[in-house]
Amino acid sequence: MQGLSSVGSQLVDLCSALLLLTCFAIVAQRRLSACVDLFALQSSFLVVTAALVAYLTGNPHIYIAAGLTGIIKVLIIPRVLKKVIDHLNVKRELVMHVNVPTGLLICGGLVMLAFFIAQPILPLGSLLTRDSLAIALAIVLIGLFTMIARQKAVSQLVGFLVLENGLFLGATAATYGMPLVVELGVFFDVLIATLIAGIYTNRLQDAFDSVDTDRLTVLKE
Amino acid sequence: MLNLLWLLLGGYGVGILLPLCLPGRPGLQQLTSNVAAIVGTSTGVILGLLGLTSSEPVTGSLASTIPLLTFTVRLDPLAAFFVLTISLVGLAASIYAIGYLQHFEERASTDTLGALFNAFLLSMTFVVLADNAFFFLLAWELMSLLSYFLVVTEHEKAEVRYAGLFYLIMTHIGTAFIVVAFLIFFQGTWSFSFEAFRHPAQPLPEGMKTLVFLMALLGFGTKAGIIPLHVWLPYAHPVAPSHVSAVMSGVMIKTAIYGLIRVYFDFFGGQFPWWWGFTVLLLGTTSALLGVMYALMEHDLKRLLAFHSVENIGIILMGLGAGMIFQAYGLRELAALGLLAGLYHTINHALFKALLFLGAGSLLYATHTRNMEEYGGLLRRMPWTGIFFLIGAVSISALPPTNGFVSEWLVFQTLFLSFQIPTVFLKLMLPIAAAILALTGVLALTCFAKAFGISFLAQPRSTHARQAEEVPVSMRTGMGILAALCVALGVAPMVVVPLLDQIVAPLAGISIASKVLAIDGWALAPVNVEFSSLSTPVLALLLVASAILGLGLAVVLGGRLTTRRSKSWGCGITLTPRMEYTATGFVQPIKRVFSTIYQPTVKLETEFLAESRYFSKRRHFEFHIEPIFEKYLYDPLVAFFGTLADRLKVIQAGSLHLYLTYMFVTLIALLLLAV
Repeated sequence: MQGLSSVGSQLVDLCSALLLLTCFAIVAQRRLSACVDLFALQSSFLVVTAALVAYLTGNPHIYIAAGLTGIIKVLIIPRVLKKVIDHLNVKRELVMHVNVPTGLLICGGLVMLAFFIAQPILPLGSLLTRDSLAIALAIVLIGLFTMIARQKAVSQLVGFLVLENGLFLGATAATYGMPLVVELGVFFDVLIATLIAGIYTNRLQDAFDSVDTDRLTVLKE
Repeated sequence: MLNLLWLLLGGYGVGILLPLCLPGRPGLQQLTSNVAAIVGTSTGVILGLLGLTSSEPVTGSLASTIPLLTFTVRLDPLAAFFVLTISLVGLAASIYAIGYLQHFEERASTDTLGALFNAFLLSMTFVVLADNAFFFLLAWELMSLLSYFLVVTEHEKAEVRYAGLFYLIMTHIGTAFIVVAFLIFFQGTWSFSFEAFRHPAQPLPEGMKTLVFLMALLGFGTKAGIIPLHVWLPYAHPVAPSHVSAVMSGVMIKTAIYGLIRVYFDFFGGQFPWWWGFTVLLLGTTSALLGVMYALMEHDLKRLLAFHSVENIGIILMGLGAGMIFQAYGLRELAALGLLAGLYHTINHALFKALLFLGAGSLLYATHTRNMEEYGGLLRRMPWTGIFFLIGAVSISALPPTNGFVSEWLVFQTLFLSFQIPTVFLKLMLPIAAAILALTGVLALTCFAKAFGISFLAQPRSTHARQAEEVPVSMRTGMGILAALCVALGVAPMVVVPLLDQIVAPLAGISIASKVLAIDGWALAPVNVEFSSLSTPVLALLLVASAILGLGLAVVLGGRLTTRRSKSWGCGITLTPRMEYTATGFVQPIKRVFSTIYQPTVKLETEFLAESRYFSKRRHFEFHIEPIFEKYLYDPLVAFFGTLADRLKVIQAGSLHLYLTYMFVTLIALLLLAV
């Protein structure tokens, strides 16, 4: 049992690390549709992680959460986003607030920060997923950073979804998942948020002929 | 008794759901919702009566999944009394609404209106039944929000939206204070149960008690509409549909009185310094006097009634405040008397104010205007409404043989008995309060002489009034019930006093029913029969007898009774309605006398004919009274917050990225702080 749990723990760590890696890829990627693909990839890693945790701990409700992640974040949301991108006239992120190399450096710094913050907490935990907590925090921070660094509404939306992935990973890592009701609620929220943001992006395109959220400053009185 | 509670819940529940399930049939929607409300309120009346007469309080509890929240209800005499009041007024209003809502069918969605009305009555019932602070606040917020939605029923009008917003903001500020008061209790007991508030492990420190007193006074005071927190009331009450105005003005503001009694007498067990009572008395006196004075200047009938609510809340608080002062000095009998007077006036005001609002609604229904200057001559066209309105007016003016007289008499007596207090200051102050109450009563009488006279007597002042017709039976029934109760509570205090004593006895610690009811219940006495006493049945008999006597004498001595119809002599000029005494003219002397308070601005512009200045082409007359509290208290506050918001605009660049950066930086800073 000890052996299995140790191997399991390693596997969970590996999957979490892959999640983090895809984050960096998203930060480095300028093409919008590729960003969405990377997000789908990240979500599928999340499905694997959650399924692993479910198998190792024997909590059946995590399977349901994993399945829902698969349906919503791997299939539905990327499809919605692709539709939105089709509608746009710009397919690439040309000007960013922070350029790609600097962005990657900052993200590296954020990962270090996340591990530094999680350091005092990790030894206290006894769960096999405890190392993932630091990674989850890093993903959350990178997601938020992406939202700040990018100008196009679609990539900001991807940033938001990455952030949400980080939260989900954190919840799975720290407590073996939230109660199922809460998780269902969160999934629903994410789905609705994406739909609304998709519509909003299209409206933005129609109104400003651009999806730069910087243009929104003109709405201020 | 808990079964009755389920029945009540079921009745209102059906009233909430059923109208929403009947789309496209407004007539049926409003009928079902009102019938359900009648079932709910009738159950409430029975529940209230049972609770008042039963010796032990009944409790029931339902656990919830939310921490600290249990749905505990407790039907003690105090709660039962308020359930009874709410249900009585609610019953009359629901019957009335069956007819009244007919003219709303094109203007508002009757399904939501009916559902909201039921939910509103239900939430009020639970405000007074709740025995858990969390549950109480939940019901309280629901009550506030639902009444807001009812206020904005006719939301197409800008005036209605403004009133609704004003009300919503004020009521939330009030709730914030109540939350603070309950949180202070919570800190002392670590429980939200009222039972724990009543018997805390260690009593609250003096400073905290004072804070609770002030917070509860401000919080409940906002809902009650005591001056200077009353400003929302004359906006919100008039614009709601009239049966809702009746419930809001009649009972919703009374839930605040309930809250005050619950906190001061129940939670603190009547242990408080004298200045608490004095503060309540002072606020009550101010509200009573200024309320009636502003009411006098109103020509919008429903706004006038709303200002009278401020006045009557003031009178209730005078009774309560005097009771609190006596309680602080250990004069338990008098404390009980003050409390009893306050509670008596509470139910009386609920009945006659609801009656008057329903009457105003009938006038609105018949004439489509709230402006009194366009009424006139309605007594001949709407005799029933006229009689009922007259009974309400007599009641609110505290004239025998109606209920308003009895309770105001009791408040007077309580205030006069202040000579038993050992302090000279209070010995001086309470009679002054009594004098102001007398002034208030006189002004109220003037006000209703105006309201009734201008509306119902003389000739119609507008086409609307000329075409007015009597309202449907259901509306007359609703008003009739309340009118009958107004008279009944006036002539039969010997039935009411023992019931009220049930409430007062546990709170003041002494039963005074036997002392208040002198001579086997045929007379009322303020504890001490030698001091003064009053027999309302005899008074009523005397009044009836003198009326009969007068009529008899007229018949005997006056000769032949003939009816002669002819026009009044007008010095040769044909009299028109425009020559009638107007509402503005009627109150002109009072406006002059109290011009310091009103600060009136009168503007008269005359346009003369070009040929001669002896002939005017057009005259324009404007008259305003200064809304002192809005101008000197609220406007500066609003301006202050406006400037503050302007300053804060600096960080509101309107850029999404900047906002995200704020969040990001805050998150990182907090995370680093936590390490």
